[in-house]
Amino acid sequence: MSLSLDLGKEVLGRALDRGADEAVVRLQERVYELIVFDSGVLRSYSVSRAVGLGVEVLVGGFAGYAYTSALSRDGVERAVERALKLARALSASGRGVRLASVEGAKVLYRALYSQNPLDVDPSEKTSLVRDLNRVAMGVEGVVSAVTRLACELDRRVVVSSLGAEALSEVVAVGVSNLSVARFGEVMERVGDQKTFIGGYENVRSFDWSAFVEDISRLATKASQAKTPPPGAYRAVVDNELIGLLLHEAFGHATEGDLVMYRASVLCGRLGERVAGDLVTIVDDGLAEGGYPVAFDDEGVAKRRTVVVESGVLKSYLTNRQASHELGVEASGNARAQDTTFKPIVRQTNFFMLPGDASVEELFEGVSEGVYLRGRSAMGGQVDPAVGTFTFSIGPSYIIRGGEPVELVRGVAVSGNILETLMSVELVARDLLVIPSVFGGCGKDGQMVRVGFGGPHVRVSKIVVGGG
Amino acid sequence: MVDVITLVERGVRKAEALGATEAEVYAVREGSLTVMGSVRGVEGAEGGESVSVYIRVAVGKRLSVQGGLVSGVGDVDTIAESAVKIARASPEDPNWASLPKRLGSTPTFDLVDSVVKSLEPEHFVELVKRALEIPRELDERAFASEASARASVVVKAVGNSHQPPVSCEQTVFDFGVEVKAAEDGFESGFHSYYVAPTLREFRLEKEVEYATRVAVETLRAKRVETGVYQVLLMPRVFSSVLGALLVPAVRADMVQKKRSPLARRLYSQVLSEQLTVVDDGAVPNMPGSTPFDDEGVATKRKVVFDRGVLRTYLYDTYTANIDNRESTGNARRVGASNTYPDATNILVLPGTSSLDSLVRDMSRGIVVHGTIGEWLSNPVSGYLNATVTHGFLVEGGEVKQAVKGVVIAGDAYKLLKEGLAALSKEVEAVVNYIVPAALLSSISVAGE
Repeated sequence: MSLSLDLGKEVLGRALDRGADEAVVRLQERVYELIVFDSGVLRSYSVSRAVGLGVEVLVGGFAGYAYTSALSRDGVERAVERALKLARALSASGRGVRLASVEGAKVLYRALYSQNPLDVDPSEKTSLVRDLNRVAMGVEGVVSAVTRLACELDRRVVVSSLGAEALSEVVAVGVSNLSVARFGEVMERVGDQKTFIGGYENVRSFDWSAFVEDISRLATKASQAKTPPPGAYRAVVDNELIGLLLHEAFGHATEGDLVMYRASVLCGRLGERVAGDLVTIVDDGLAEGGYPVAFDDEGVAKRRTVVVESGVLKSYLTNRQASHELGVEASGNARAQDTTFKPIVRQTNFFMLPGDASVEELFEGVSEGVYLRGRSAMGGQVDPAVGTFTFSIGPSYIIRGGEPVELVRGVAVSGNILETLMSVELVARDLLVIPSVFGGCGKDGQMVRVGFGGPHVRVSKIVVGGG
Repeated sequence: MVDVITLVERGVRKAEALGATEAEVYAVREGSLTVMGSVRGVEGAEGGESVSVYIRVAVGKRLSVQGGLVSGVGDVDTIAESAVKIARASPEDPNWASLPKRLGSTPTFDLVDSVVKSLEPEHFVELVKRALEIPRELDERAFASEASARASVVVKAVGNSHQPPVSCEQTVFDFGVEVKAAEDGFESGFHSYYVAPTLREFRLEKEVEYATRVAVETLRAKRVETGVYQVLLMPRVFSSVLGALLVPAVRADMVQKKRSPLARRLYSQVLSEQLTVVDDGAVPNMPGSTPFDDEGVATKRKVVFDRGVLRTYLYDTYTANIDNRESTGNARRVGASNTYPDATNILVLPGTSSLDSLVRDMSRGIVVHGTIGEWLSNPVSGYLNATVTHGFLVEGGEVKQAVKGVVIAGDAYKLLKEGLAALSKEVEAVVNYIVPAALLSSISVAGE
C-alpha cells in the first residue's frame, strides 16, 4: 500500500465501522540522508527510511492510539483493533477525554524546490562534504572537525472524522560543521549549521567554504579565551540565542498539555503580565524562514498564534484536548515525531516579534555586561513547572563601555524565565527565524523540527556561570 | 510479524549477491504499550508494533549504512540495493578493516518480565492510577501532575558475512511521575523515574514518595550567594554528571578524533583513588544489559577506572581495529548510523561513609537532588555546568534552606580527583548506572 489520502480515508472508514466515535489516521514517509566526514575520513553515508501508520480513536469518550510499520492489510487491521482495545481498556478506571470540535484542515502543502537533494549524484554530495571538511581542518589550531550534509523528505497525510484531508511534503537540506581547536591544554569546540527548506539548488548557491572556515577560526580564538567570572550580568542576547531561550524557557511553558496538568508556571495566568511591555511572542507554522508546518498531526490548520502581546499572556498552544479544557482556540500544535508516537502539544516556529531599536542602541549604556551569542550554543533545558532554565551557549563577549571587547568561552546562563522576560529593556528590529535539518525540539522522547528566532534583545540581569 | 533472523539472513545474502564484500544486518521487532495519566486521571493509552532493519555494507573499503522502519520482508531487498549502490559511490575509508569476525552472547539474567512482555494494559492502568493518588495522601500540598508507565518488548538479531546471526529478547519497563507542591504562592515540582527490564525491584511507593518529599521540601527554595561551596551530588545527579562528561571522554572514537581530554592518559591517575568505575553489559535487571552489542559482539565487564587510574577506553570493532585491539563489546547504533562505542551499564564502587554522616560533616555546602542542563556540559574540555533545581543548603551539618536556580561549574577532572572528598556507602540504580552519592570539597556556585 502506498501513502495517500485514499489509504487514509480507507483506514478511517474501518475504524469508524469497528465502533470508533471519532478517529484520526496519520500516514508518514520520511527519508533522511546524512553524509559525515570526520577529520578527513568519510565516517558515514547513511539513509534512513521510515514508513508507518498511526490511528487514534475515541470510544465512549476514551482515547486509544495504535501504530504499525506494516502497511499490509493485516498490519493496518491489527493497528485499528489495538487502538479500539486500548480505548476500551481505559473505560474501567480511566478518565474520558473531551476534545474541541474543530473543522479538519483541507490542505495540500508542498515546499517548493527545483532539485530533490535525495536525487543528486552521491559523489557530488560526498565531494562537497569532503572539501568542506578539509577547509575546516586547514585552519591553524584545529585538531578535529566533523562536517555533515543532511537531506530530508518528510511526507505526511492526516485524515480525520472531522473532515481533515491534509497532505504536506517538506524537503530540507543543510550543512553543519563542528571544529575542535586546542591551545595548550585547553580544547574548545564550536559548531554551527545552516539549513534551507527547499532543494539542492540552495546548496549550490551558498558559500560554504567561508561558512566552515569562520567556524574553525572562532574555535581557535575560543580555545585561547578565558571563561567569564560567574555572577549576574546585564546582557545583550543575540538574535540566534533569543530564539533558543524563548523556545526552551518560555515556549514549553505555553504548551497546553503542561498547562492542563498544572505543570506549567503559566497555568492560570491568561491575561496577566508575564513579560516586559516590549515583548510580543508568536507561534507561526508558516513563518518566513522557519520550518513549515501547515497543519498539525490531528489535522487542524496551523496559523499564527499570538501567545504574548505587549507583555500580556494571551493564549496557550493547544491540541484539541487542551483547547477544550483550557477554553482557548485550537491552535494546531499537536505534533508527533513519527507515527510510532501519539501527537502531543509542540511548538512550530516560536519567536519574539521585532522592536524598533537598532542593535547598536542595545550596547549603548552597558558599562559592564555580557554579549551572549547563539552560535555554537549546545542547547538548554527548563523546568517548566517553576520557570528555571539553563543554557550552554556559544563563545560570547564581555561588554565594557558599551562595546563587546573580550571573547569568553564555556558560558552557561541560568535564570527564571518570567524574571528574565520582565527584565527585557530593549528589542531590536533584526528578526531572524532559522530551521535546522540536524536537530529540533525534544519532549517526552519525541523530536520534531522547529524554527527558532527573534531579534537582538537586552535584559537587565541574567546569571552567568563559568570559570 | 516477520522473524528477525530471517530478515538478517535475507539481507546479508542479498547485499553479497549485489557485490558487497561484507554485509551486516541488524533487525529489531518492537512492541510497546504506554499508559499516561495526569492530575485529572488516567486518560491515554497507546501501543503498537514496528520492525526496523539496518544494513551496513562494505564494498572494499567503501561503506554505507541504510535502513529504518520496514513494512515487509521485501523492503530488506530495497535497503540492500540502496546500500550497495551508495557504498560504490563513496570514497574509501582508509581506517576500515572489517566487520566483527566473532559474534557471541554473554549469559544474562532478569532481562525479560512476563507482565511487561504481555503488553496488556490493565496492570499498567492500575499502576498509573495509584501513582496519581499517592502524593495527595502523603501531603495535602502535593499532587501528581503527570505519571506514565511504558512497557516494551524487543526481539533483535544481528549477523554478518562472517558469522550467523545472534538473537535475543528483552523487555523494558519505564515509569515516571511528576509531583508538584503548592503553598502560600510558592510552587515546586520534582520528577522521579525508574527504568529496568523487569518489575522485580520496582517499588511504586518509594518512587512517588521520593518525588513528593523533594517537591514539598523545596517549596520555598531560593538562590544562595555566589561563592565556593561543598557540594553533595546525590546518585541521580552524580550519574548524570558522569554520563555527560566521563562516558563521552572514554569513548575510543572521541579519543581517536582528539575530542577527549583523556587522550594519551591511559594508565595514568585521572580521578581520585576513591573512584573505581566499571562498564558491565550483563548486570541482571539493568536496562543497559544485553547478551551482545549492536554489531553482535558479546558484552563484557571491564574496569574503566581502577582506583582512579584509566585502564581502558570503550571500543566497538571499528575503533578497536584502529588501535589494534579487541572490541570491548560496546558498539551502539542510533538509527541508520555506523556504530560507535558507548557505555552499557556504569557501576561506581561505593565508599564507606553513610549519607547521613556525609551531610552531618558538611560545614557549608549544598546537597543536590536535581539539576537541569548538566548534559550540556562540555566533554571535550571536561568542563561541568549545571543548574541546581532541587538542593538544600547545609551549614554546620544542618539543613538551613532549600536551594534552586544556582549554577555549579568547574573542571570535572579536578572536581573528581583532588576535589572528591568522599563517596557514600549507599548506592542507587539510576537507569543504566549504579552509583553512590559523591561529596565534592569545593565547587564554584553562581547565585545571587
